[in-house]
Amino acid sequence: MQTAMLAFRNLSRQKRRSVLLGGAIAFGVMIVTLIDGFAGAFVDNVSENFSNLLAGHVFVEGVEKSPKGRDLEIIRDDLALREAAEAAGIEAMYVSRRSGLQGSFKFAGRTATLRVQGVDFAAETFLAERLALASGSLENLPRDGIVIPEPIADKLGVVIGDRLLVTTRTYSGQQNVGEFAVAAVIKDPGILGSVSAYAGRDYVNELLDLAPDEYQALSFYLPSLKGMDEAGDRLHAEVSSRLQAFERKAPGAEGENPILAMMRGEDEETWTGVKYRVTTLNDALAQVQQIVDVLDTASLVILLVLFLIIMVGITNTFRIIMYERIREIGTMRAVGMQRGQVRGLFLYEALFLALGGAVAGLAVASLVMLGVGLIDFGLDSPLFLILRNGHMSFRLDWARVAGKVAIVAFLTLAAAFFPARSAAKLDPAVALRTAV
Amino acid sequence: MKRAMISVLLALSVAMAGAQDFKAMLREIDSLGDFGGQDFTATYTIVSEKPGQKPETVQVRVYRRDERDQFVFLFLKPERQKGQGYLKVDDNVWFYDPESGEFAKSTIKESVQDSEARNSDLSRMSYADDYDIEKSSEGKLGAYDVWILELVSKDSEVSWQRVRLYVRKDKPLVLKEEDFSVSGRLMRTVSFPPSYISAGGKQIPSRILIVDEINTGEKSQLTLSDVAVGRLPDDTFTESFLKRAR
Repeated sequence: MQTAMLAFRNLSRQKRRSVLLGGAIAFGVMIVTLIDGFAGAFVDNVSENFSNLLAGHVFVEGVEKSPKGRDLEIIRDDLALREAAEAAGIEAMYVSRRSGLQGSFKFAGRTATLRVQGVDFAAETFLAERLALASGSLENLPRDGIVIPEPIADKLGVVIGDRLLVTTRTYSGQQNVGEFAVAAVIKDPGILGSVSAYAGRDYVNELLDLAPDEYQALSFYLPSLKGMDEAGDRLHAEVSSRLQAFERKAPGAEGENPILAMMRGEDEETWTGVKYRVTTLNDALAQVQQIVDVLDTASLVILLVLFLIIMVGITNTFRIIMYERIREIGTMRAVGMQRGQVRGLFLYEALFLALGGAVAGLAVASLVMLGVGLIDFGLDSPLFLILRNGHMSFRLDWARVAGKVAIVAFLTLAAAFFPARSAAKLDPAVALRTAV
Repeated sequence: MKRAMISVLLALSVAMAGAQDFKAMLREIDSLGDFGGQDFTATYTIVSEKPGQKPETVQVRVYRRDERDQFVFLFLKPERQKGQGYLKVDDNVWFYDPESGEFAKSTIKESVQDSEARNSDLSRMSYADDYDIEKSSEGKLGAYDVWILELVSKDSEVSWQRVRLYVRKDKPLVLKEEDFSVSGRLMRTVSFPPSYISAGGKQIPSRILIVDEINTGEKSQLTLSDVAVGRLPDDTFTESFLKRAR
């Protein structure tokens, strides 16, 4: 305890040096904490934003084998699916039934490719709350009304009321042509611009050559992101017991998206009628988790590189400290201090530096996260996918933070160990004779 | 009464005979593009025009084995697409990109490198198998007397739900084809000017003009050259052929 007190006093004696060394440690901790905080919220934010776009966390799609062996996306009758969802205990805040078409939109000689979600606006009331409209309205939407993103409206040069010609394909791949009336324009959704158009399912179905009560994807929007995989597994089990269903997880190539792996497997299968695919948002966003893994690795590598540099500084500084205090060490040794205590003195100083630096680094990182989190990037920001309601958000896993602080403490102690050992090995008589 | 009955029966039998003739006519048209047990090879040069853009030229070497409904399309031009190709095995069409060395699933309905032509325009097709005759009438197209046949697809697995064919009366040769969307709108017009290449005892159009009726001013002209009919090595219709073809 006395050694620890002495170490603390020594640090206080050399405030400038302590602040500089502690500052270097704090800087490293701050950078790593910011990366960890960003990575922690990244998956949640991307999942949240995608769940809004796809209107769900758990999805069921129907795939029908055509007489010529082609896979056609269609759900003709969902009674058994609804029973399966009930039996699986899926408690969804919203259930959506959507169709989708990919079309080439033309207006006054200009062309844009766009994916249109066919939605039931009367049932998907939450959509109106989530779409940030730049102009127009979702009320009294005409049957052929369409909601398009701002960049597409700009590209085509259209305003509310203009009519767009669309060439597309039916669900079975036949060529079709239709017309949409621009009813509303939503603010730039960034990279999702080409998939963020909405129109009434009735008219989308007509262009897809589907009956009004048919559709392509059934989505369940759960109260939270947690438990979606378990919900997907339960729903898959119930669907499998009632209908034909694909395996929940197809054996995919290393790093391949689970849904793509599943679809690749379907190409090789044969069946008659409709077979169902149950997926979750986590399956769709498997690559996002890979990004987080990369960020985690990067954070650890940055921590190690920064601290290797800082360790060199700490080792040199402690060596200097040892020479500065050589007579003091000699005196302490002469009055009875043991070698271990001298070594402990140096190591305590290093530990206090590490802990002080880590606490300061965490405090500064928290302030930066708080400050950045207050900035409103807007819902039309190109970064919107990684934002939460237009704000950058961070989430720290405190166990990971504690682990990183432990690594910092260990590296700092390792850096100070050799000077500490040298100090401990000093002969008191020689130390006392040494002129500094 | 008896005379009236005979007249009706006669009219019905003539009408039925007419319908059977048109079906046979479709089969004859199909047979002109079907090389059966012999393999067909040709180079298609596709020049596409779009308003405000320079014409683009794509050259494709086509290898077909009609008896097994197989094909390989190998892109020769432009340079950036050289070596790319399509392979049809069974009911699956695969697109090969030599840059990645990967095959990706495609369909016969894909357009050929952003031109107005589709893969189905370069492969064997069968009006008789895919379409029913809904209506027929007579007309004139340029100097030619033609039958105008309104076709409706038997199922939804062909690109066009409705097709209108203008067939020469003197020979079963199509002069013009109009393709309609499911909603009934004319989407493209395909003209077959009466200039033919003889190959394997059949006459095939040496030029095809495809006009996009939705995007005004967009059109593609297909010109055939290096046409050959004869057995090709079996490994022509394999992935390895496309991989080593570049």
